[in-house]
Amino acid sequence: MYRYDEFDQKVVDERVEQFRGQVARRLSGELTEDQFKPLRLMNGLYLQLHAYMLRVAIPYGTLSSRQLRMLGHIARKYDKGYAHFTTRQNLQYNWPKLADIPDILADLATVEMHAIQTSGNCIRNVTSDHFAGAAEGEVDDPRVWSEIIRQWSTFHPEFSFLPRKFKIAVTASAKDRAAIKVHDIGIVIRRDATATLAFDVYVGGGQGRTPFVGHLIGEGIAANDLLAYLEATMRVYNQYGRRDNLYKSRIKILVHQIGPDEMRRQVAAEFAEVKAQGALALPQAEIDRINAYFTAPAFETLTEDTSRAKQRQASNAFATWHDINVAPHKVPGYAIITVSLKPIGGVPGDASADQMDLIADLAERLSFDEVRVSHEQNLVLAHVKQSDLFALWQKLDAAGLGTANYGLITDIIACPGLDYCDLANARSINIAQAVSKRFADLDRQRNIGELKLKISGCINACGHHHVGHIGVLGVDKKGVEYYQITLGGSGDETASIGDIIGPAFAENEVADAVETLVDTYLNARQPGERFLDTYRRLGIQPFREKLYVAH
Amino acid sequence: MPQILTANRLLDGEVVYLAADGAWVETLDAAAVLATKAEGEVALATGAKAELNQEIVHAYLFDVVDAPVLKPVKQREIIRAAGPTVRTDLGKQARL
Repeated sequence: MYRYDEFDQKVVDERVEQFRGQVARRLSGELTEDQFKPLRLMNGLYLQLHAYMLRVAIPYGTLSSRQLRMLGHIARKYDKGYAHFTTRQNLQYNWPKLADIPDILADLATVEMHAIQTSGNCIRNVTSDHFAGAAEGEVDDPRVWSEIIRQWSTFHPEFSFLPRKFKIAVTASAKDRAAIKVHDIGIVIRRDATATLAFDVYVGGGQGRTPFVGHLIGEGIAANDLLAYLEATMRVYNQYGRRDNLYKSRIKILVHQIGPDEMRRQVAAEFAEVKAQGALALPQAEIDRINAYFTAPAFETLTEDTSRAKQRQASNAFATWHDINVAPHKVPGYAIITVSLKPIGGVPGDASADQMDLIADLAERLSFDEVRVSHEQNLVLAHVKQSDLFALWQKLDAAGLGTANYGLITDIIACPGLDYCDLANARSINIAQAVSKRFADLDRQRNIGELKLKISGCINACGHHHVGHIGVLGVDKKGVEYYQITLGGSGDETASIGDIIGPAFAENEVADAVETLVDTYLNARQPGERFLDTYRRLGIQPFREKLYVAH
Repeated sequence: MPQILTANRLLDGEVVYLAADGAWVETLDAAAVLATKAEGEVALATGAKAELNQEIVHAYLFDVVDAPVLKPVKQREIIRAAGPTVRTDLGKQARL
């Protein structure tokens, strides 16, 4: 993992004390709310429906056990004993008091954490593949490059007042688990014909009010040119991005309006200039320095563990969990574990302080001291010995963390929605709970297979509904919640934006509607087809006919 | 339609309502129900003053029905008056 050097620590510590002074001045009246609001947002502090909300940055979703324990400690000491993992791989506290925020930030700083770049019109916390460094077929650890981008982007003076927020995601796998094509910039790291690292840069993707899949703008960029290319892209955006209209200010609108060819041309021209200046050429020594922080852990030389066959026979529940939540690791004898934060009928992404402590302990003992947060709101233990899986599962299961549903219909993404969020038009969590309970039967879930259901409580799309195989968007009709359904979205390497199927449904109709859609798929699917495959083969019409006849 | 003035308390963000005696109260039942536009404007002026005094943040009026029971019209204000519907152990509803 990356560790702060003395400069990092100093910057973060100073930032805490600056904010302590700003809070004191706000409470004494020296600062008005209008003056204070941009300052608190720069430190991740929002005011939501019921209370303040503090959003803590988890760079590329990687945590040490010490950091996770501190997140649990803060939940217990300053909040209500739980917190919420978000689709940006961050963590949110829902109930902190304003006067406590400086102390919370000071506690975070002791474990090299902060809330910088979690709000405002800057380059936000960089996200990445939650299986980084463990996945089979990965060409490099994408967190090395995420960290290099983070260091370049944090407090970058030229990009501290962008037209709008800016989100970057990085993957180094052909299988995209980081939804890179629906980010302002998405980066795919691959190896070219000579096995040299090459960076494909997708620009102008995004969700929100006007969703787009990103375009390949920079192809095969060399490693030492990566920052120069990103700088060039940001400069084009900073110059031409619209500041006059909030709804047209993201880079996706610029790319859409001028077209990918013109965007490519402009970035190339700017890139030539940045390169000519030379200041952003990444020295190999610097790449090596960051690489050293992400050296693979000291894996033992193991063979495939055979004891699991016996354990699987002894416990059906373990066997099922193993089939669903355990992914293959690149090193023989190891496995990648998804700890589901989606218990049936629960709140997607919420974890109690006790659960955080338990996962931190398990990570420390069994997974080289590392935890990942996935953008799908689960936690990942990336390096577990196969021979430890049974004991690990028993501990997780006893703490309500053994739900077997990774990638299934109850592994739902949901934003906090109108239960917490000031921007929301409708609740999201209640819909997730209703669908989760409806499809609680695991045999049924497994028969349905991979189905990504994603729910947002407003058009800002924090719940990623546009890229859900089934997406649900909450809307407000004269103060009453309604839900619009989209089909056929995908956030992976075959990214697509979902199509709206028809008129919205009332709250109590959504689970029925989802069931109708699933049944339509089950009746129409060909062998081996997932929901998304069947949808792509048949189109929306058969689903629409069933849905609106049934209702 | 009758209205109530609401805001969030500066110190902890708690949802508060303006009462008839000018105090900021935590429950809807204790809030002043403003029957006319003129009453609403007076309340907004009180709210603006309280913002300057660092008591509250972002005061605004919202619609309620007052019979048979006092209730906000919009779901947003129903949830603000109670707490998260998915965590009934938290928020105002847990203190009743």
